[in-house]
Amino acid sequence: MAYSEKLLDHYENPRNVGSFDKNESTVGTGLVGAPACGDVMKLQIRVSAEGIIEDAKFKTFGCGSAIASSSLITEWVKGKTIAEAGAIKNSQIAEELALPPVKIHCSILAEDAIKAAISDYNTKNGKAAAEAAE
Amino acid sequence: MMNAASKNTDATGNGNKTCWSCKGPVDAVALFCDTCGAIQAPGQLDHFARFGIARDFNVDIDAIETQYLKQQQALHPDRFATKSAREKALSQQQAASLNDAFETLKNPVSRAVYMLRMAGVEPEGGEGQTVNDPALLMEAMEMREALDDAGDRAQIDAIIRDVRKTARDCENEVATAINGGAYDAARKLTTRLRYLLKMAQEARAKKARLAAA
Repeated sequence: MAYSEKLLDHYENPRNVGSFDKNESTVGTGLVGAPACGDVMKLQIRVSAEGIIEDAKFKTFGCGSAIASSSLITEWVKGKTIAEAGAIKNSQIAEELALPPVKIHCSILAEDAIKAAISDYNTKNGKAAAEAAE
Repeated sequence: MMNAASKNTDATGNGNKTCWSCKGPVDAVALFCDTCGAIQAPGQLDHFARFGIARDFNVDIDAIETQYLKQQQALHPDRFATKSAREKALSQQQAASLNDAFETLKNPVSRAVYMLRMAGVEPEGGEGQTVNDPALLMEAMEMREALDDAGDRAQIDAIIRDVRKTARDCENEVATAINGGAYDAARKLTTRLRYLLKMAQEARAKKARLAAA
């Protein structure tokens, strides 16, 4: 099966690998897993006082598509408001990386991870999850 | 094999069907008719019944493997080379059904998933489903990070020992939950077992890479 160049690039040179201190109030952490493959993905965002995502990091143990999906989404969310980041759809990731149908779930994992990170940030900062969805 | 087949009926109560060839009664789990010796169709047996064992998560894998290998031998295509097209087809269907049953029961995760579905409970992790159970994912993340950091064989061996023990304990919990009908707990434990076995597999893979380097 042929993978796209973008996918291979993100897999071979993943962007933004690492961690923030999950206890910091400006940091939101999302931890999600795809049980069918035993994958686990951690995605973290650092949010400014203005509600802009200044930085994002991830750590993914899983297949190449899961690594590429999380690498791509960390690039995409930087500079976005949390509302904009929360509106990213897995289909956009799948399209950008040209994921084959059997790997679509990897992009779902990345979408769920960013949503979980935003929700964690909102919970920590006393904001309703609904506010981020607006 | 005849003995095993008649014992099977007692254990599981599958009863009889009619032999397509001689029209006589034949045990539902029998591969061959004991009157005329004709190969039988696999029929709609669950994987436990196919091996004549009780529907219990704790399966004696060695015992069913012995039985499986013996039956596959009896179904070997060479033995059907001179038989009719119908008998050839039936022997292949039997072989496929046995293969499916054995592969499903052999692995504790696929066995648990199968038993959950038998009970009408859909296991976690279907197509495109994600989990966000924090305790499960923290455990998985920490184990994978520790494996990532492990630099030498001794450290990896220690990780493999640990994860094997944890997986064994988890498998016992799955057994208790499923056999006890605690399906909610069984679903979660099955997912955890999946992660633990995946972790064990990754640890062995890393050890192999290290040995090859």
